[in-house]
Parts: sequence; structure tokens; C-alpha cells
Amino acid sequence: MRRLIRPALSGLLAAAGGIATAELVASLVRPESSPLVAIGGTVIDATPTPVKEYAVATFGTYDKPLLIGTILIVLAALAAAVGVLAVHHRTAALLAIGALGLVGAAAALTRPTARPLDALPALLAGAVSAGLLAWLAPKAATAPPPPSPAPEAPGAANPAGSDTVPAAGSGSPAAAGPAGPAAATPAGRAGRRSFLIAAGLVALGTALAGGLAAIIRRSGTQAADDARDAITLPAPTDPGPPPLVTPGFYTPNQDFYRVDIALTVPRVDPRQWTLQITGMVDKPVELTFDDLLKQPLIQRDITLNCVSNEVGGPYVGNARWLGVPLAPLLRAAGVQAGADQIVARAADGITIGTPVATVLDGRDAMLAIAMNGQPLPLEHGFPVRMITPGLYGYVGAAKWITALELSTFSSFDAYWVQRGWGATGPVKTASRIDRPKAFAQLPAGTVTVAGVAWAQHRGISAVEVQVDDTPWQQAKLLPVPSTDTWVQWTWDWPATAAGSHTLRVRAIDGTGAVQTEQRAEPFPDGATGWQTLVVTVT
Amino acid sequence: MYGKRKLTALAAVAAFSLSLALSACGGGTTAATTQPTALPTAVPTTVPTALPSMPGTAGGEFGPACATIPKDPANPGSLEMMAQQPVATAAAANPQLSTLAAAIQAGELGDTLNNAEAVTVFAPTNEAFTKIPKADLDKVLADKELLKKILTYHVVDGKTAPDALAGTHKTLEGQDITVTGSGTEFKVNDTAMIVCGNIQTRNGVVYLVDSVLMPPS
Repeated sequence: MRRLIRPALSGLLAAAGGIATAELVASLVRPESSPLVAIGGTVIDATPTPVKEYAVATFGTYDKPLLIGTILIVLAALAAAVGVLAVHHRTAALLAIGALGLVGAAAALTRPTARPLDALPALLAGAVSAGLLAWLAPKAATAPPPPSPAPEAPGAANPAGSDTVPAAGSGSPAAAGPAGPAAATPAGRAGRRSFLIAAGLVALGTALAGGLAAIIRRSGTQAADDARDAITLPAPTDPGPPPLVTPGFYTPNQDFYRVDIALTVPRVDPRQWTLQITGMVDKPVELTFDDLLKQPLIQRDITLNCVSNEVGGPYVGNARWLGVPLAPLLRAAGVQAGADQIVARAADGITIGTPVATVLDGRDAMLAIAMNGQPLPLEHGFPVRMITPGLYGYVGAAKWITALELSTFSSFDAYWVQRGWGATGPVKTASRIDRPKAFAQLPAGTVTVAGVAWAQHRGISAVEVQVDDTPWQQAKLLPVPSTDTWVQWTWDWPATAAGSHTLRVRAIDGTGAVQTEQRAEPFPDGATGWQTLVVTVT
Repeated sequence: MYGKRKLTALAAVAAFSLSLALSACGGGTTAATTQPTALPTAVPTTVPTALPSMPGTAGGEFGPACATIPKDPANPGSLEMMAQQPVATAAAANPQLSTLAAAIQAGELGDTLNNAEAVTVFAPTNEAFTKIPKADLDKVLADKELLKKILTYHVVDGKTAPDALAGTHKTLEGQDITVTGSGTEFKVNDTAMIVCGNIQTRNGVVYLVDSVLMPPS
């Protein structure tokens, strides 16, 4: 075993040097291009969902470090093996390193947000590792055994190389034992010294490159936060209706639901950010964040909800958004005939497909830059997200958006569609009771029953409440600025009969259609059914 | 000599640890532009699951009947999936609770259970329901008021951990239940054994019981 230690160390050091170089270059070019990040992302994408869930449930927030740690352990094992391989088969070992570099480059290039230059760090890692190994390997194997006639420079095809190292450790079966007699020879000592110096230099270089990369990376992370703090939001060109003062109409940013696939919140520096409008367009467009701020901005109140919300569930919120209308941007790019899907690509790797016709039908689909008067919070898609009134978030509201690709529904399935969810995702009419609370004990008397109802872009024309099997009662609707928001409703219940009661709610949308009573699960295109609530009057 | 070798090994380990540290502080993550953050982590699932209430994680359950819960984390009735769903939805996915789920549906209690802030549910298994003569069970299932009364007698406000289980609890029906026992062996009202306890769901903790509890009055 001992004869393998120095070759294995050579492999490890060469790989570490390569990875540190790649991290340094990635930190300078684009953090996303780090081969470790790219491979990690590829592994996660390839992992079956149940395993991911299990990992998150079991390891919690440690799942990511654990993944990267595992990748590094595998890489370390491969590197050590390649180092050992280099003793006998130098060329094969160098080719193996080259192959690893290509794997990293391929991973980086196949990420959803990849750019051609992203291959650079991985390719450099391969080149640097190969160079370091070519330099270290001969030194790792130079301890000359007295009987060997050819101790120096063992080539890939030189069998003498196999005789050199065993001599260094011969006569000592235990790895922790004293050095063998051969190592004590002057030549052995010189060989070891030469290896140690080289190894030390590589370790030092790795430490420097790695430390520098860490410092640059940290300043980059800080940059996104600082840039967000520094943003002064322009005034909207079209401010829309004045804000409502009804309590609860707007959902505060910190209370707004969050449903996404990002295991860590992407931090995008708006100064580095660009949006590409590509695919089936006549003139592809690339916009910087500053370009976006110079566009005419609209301000609108829009309710957003998640398709996975259960009947009566919490994944719905209403906010005041500031953004650039999307339709003029698309028209400027020239949407080609046949393009019926906008595929939004985002920094967390998700793809979200939105119908072109919906975005171009005159509604206020926008690229939002602010939410309730603040630059988008990091977890809500900073610096730019899409908002499409009338569509569930999973088809109309990509966060951390980086590209819009005009495409077709027949040629591309977006992330959730690949997982069986509906492709177009129009919001279903829904209503929810927020007061009283579930299983509330209510003193007899007048009880205010209140809640929200939503059918974005169709609007809500009426909400009705039923107690047990008594006739439906009209609830009072509070004013709204448009059909794109939820409607708050209240109804005063003369709760005189003591005992358990079941309250039921339903909404009628702007087209006159009554919310369906038919129960449906959220999968595949949104839950339906009238919410019930059991309370007790005492 | 050995010391030097050890030093070299340390250098290699240090170099690799550094690469590790790099990836940790350099956003070694799934998402392309991610950086490490103290913000909470989202949970990707077959259903898009939301973040604000971090789902409970599986673990800590006890009792012989736990062995019959589906092991595949992708199974909707598994402990992992139940931990992410609101309590009535979670119960409906568990094959041992299909009769209870039907009763909850008949009593129109599902939404209320799902939207309750925090509850403890003593959930009779299918086997528990078989102890009731079929004619009686059918009569209860057809009488929504009686059904609601019986079902809410199985629900206690707030999440009750195993160490707080022993004692008297006021149910949502209004009358008390009494839990006796300790460790992993408990009985409710001296009649129902807890056969699998401390199952986590998003908004409630579930204890499977082997008999249906009957409100005294």
C-alpha cells in the first residue's frame, strides 16, 4: 500500500490544483461556470424527485454541502486512482484527467443558463491538473531502488517505473512503520525531498488560488445584496389606480407564499444580469437591468396563486407590482408565426412556459422589478420576475428570470409540464374563508364571516356563504382596482343556534360562472371545490 | 521520514479541504447563480410545495403499526410525504386510514382539519372501524351531525408531543379524553391503544389508535 501513497498524493494534489484554478477562473468569469456547481446541478437534475425529497427531509439544509462533499470525495478517489495509474500508464492517466475536464465542461455547458465561456473553468481544471500530474508523477516515483537499472523518468510504457516505488517502502508491511532501507539512501532522500518540495509548491498554489477565489466570490455575493440595497426604483410611467387602504388587501412581502425549486435562493447581481429574448423572433434582444429601468413602467395590483394550493389553502397573495409590460418587448423582438409558447429560463434552472396569446391579449403581463414598493425580495425573484395575471405561478410567473425563448408547446415541455402538470394553467375560480378560524368556539350573536375570492382577469362578481343546509347568502364585496386581484368579502352571520355548524363558500366569476362544487386535487391543474369550515357556537 | 510523509498527506488534504471550503462558500449548489445564504431552503417535491411553513420532517414515530406505513418516500402515504401535507390530506393518503378519510369527507371536516393552525389527531385505523358493527357504522356515516361529533372527539387543539401525551385533553368536540401510559405505550380512554404515534404532518401530529373513541355524552 505504501508504495501507492506518493502517486495517490500526486493525483490528489494535481486535481486540487486544477479545481482551485477552475474556482478562481469561475469567480472571475461567472460563478455559475464553476465545474463543481455545474456537476452538482446536473446530479440534482438527474436525481429522481422522491430521492430529492428524502434527501431534503433527512438532511435538511445540509443536503447541498453533503452533495458537494460527495462529489469532492468521488473526485478525490478518482484523482488518487489517476495518480496511481500514472505510475505505469502516464498517457492513460493524462487522458483520464482530460476526460474529467471534458465531463465538467459538458456539465457546465448543459446547464439551463449556460453560455459558451462556461466551459472554460472545467477545461482549465483539466489542463492544469494534467500539467501538475505530469510534473509530480515522476517525482512521486523517483526513489531509486538499488537493484533497478532505470530509476529515472518512468514513462507510460516503462515497466521500470513499477520497480521504483516498492523499494521505497519495502520491508515494512505496516503503513505507519519506519521507512525502508531504500528510502534511507541518498538518492531516495533526494527523490523524496524533490517530491515534497513540488507537493508543497502545488499545495501552496492551490491554497492561494482557492483563497483568492473565495474572496472574489464573497465580494460577488455581497454585490447582489448591495446592488439591491442601492436600487432607486423609478417612478411608474403608468401608476395605475391608487392603492387600496383596506387592511389585508396587500400581502406583505415577508408573508407572501413562496413555492419554487431553488434549494438556495439565487443571488443575481443586477449589474451582471441580462435578459435575452431569443428563439422564434425576428430580432433577438438582450437587455441589461439599466435598459429595463429605462422602459416605460406600469404599476399594477395583481394576485398570484400557486397551482398546488389546496381548497382553502395559503398559497395565494396579492401585491402591488412595478414592471415593464412584456407585450411591447415581444413585439419589438418580432414574434414569428407559429410561436405559441414563451419559455422563461431562470437562474434556479427552472423553465416556465407561458402561452404567447395570453401575454399578447392586452392583459398586464410584465417583467416585475418591484413588489409592494420594494425591489423584488431575493426569494421572490430579484432582480426580475415575470407576472401574468390570470395564470398560476408555475405557468406565468418565473422568478430570477434570465431568458425568454419563443418556442412552441409541441416542441418543448417546461419543468412542471414534464412532471405531469397542465401546460397552460389558467387560474380556476376559488374562494376562501379566513374568519372565523378552523374549529373556532364562537359566542352566540353576530359573527363576521370574511375571506377572499379570486378569478384573476375574469374578476369576481359575487360571493355566497351557506350555513349548514340553509339557503345561500350574498356576501358583501369590498372594492377592487381591477379584475386581476382577489376580492375581499364579508358576511354577518346571525349565529344564534348553539352547537356545531358548517360554513361553506362559493364565488361567481365575472363571466357569471359559478365556482364548481366538484372536488379536484391540485394535481394536475389546480384544486376545485367549495371550502367548508366547521365552527361551534356556544 | 514518516513525519514528512504525513506532512505531504496533510498538504494534500488541506488542498482538498480548501476546494471544499471554496465550493461551500462559492455557491456549490444546484442553481446556477446561487450563493450560500442563511435564507430558508425550499423543498422540491412532486407537487410544488411552498416554503413559508417548513414542513415537518419524518422521524420520531413509534409503535408496532408504524411498520405497515409505506416505506417508499415517494408514496403519498409514506411518513416523508405525510410530513409535507396538511393533516386531512395526509391521512387520506395513508392506506391504514382510508375509512377515517371517508368519514372525514362525509362529515365535511377535511378543509377545516387542513386549515387548522395546529392539531393533534387520534386517528382510528381501518381495523378500529371494523370493531364497530357494520349497521352501526353505516348509521353514523349517514348522520353528519353525529359523525362530526365523533370525529371532533378525536381531535385536540395544538400539536401534542409524546412527552406531553399522558394526561387529560379537551377535544374539539368539547369533552375530555384521557391518555395513560408512558414511553412508547399509551392508551386513550383505557380502550384504544396507540399503535403508531407521533406521525408528523404539515399542521398536525397523528397518533393511530386501534379503536374508535366514543364521546361519553
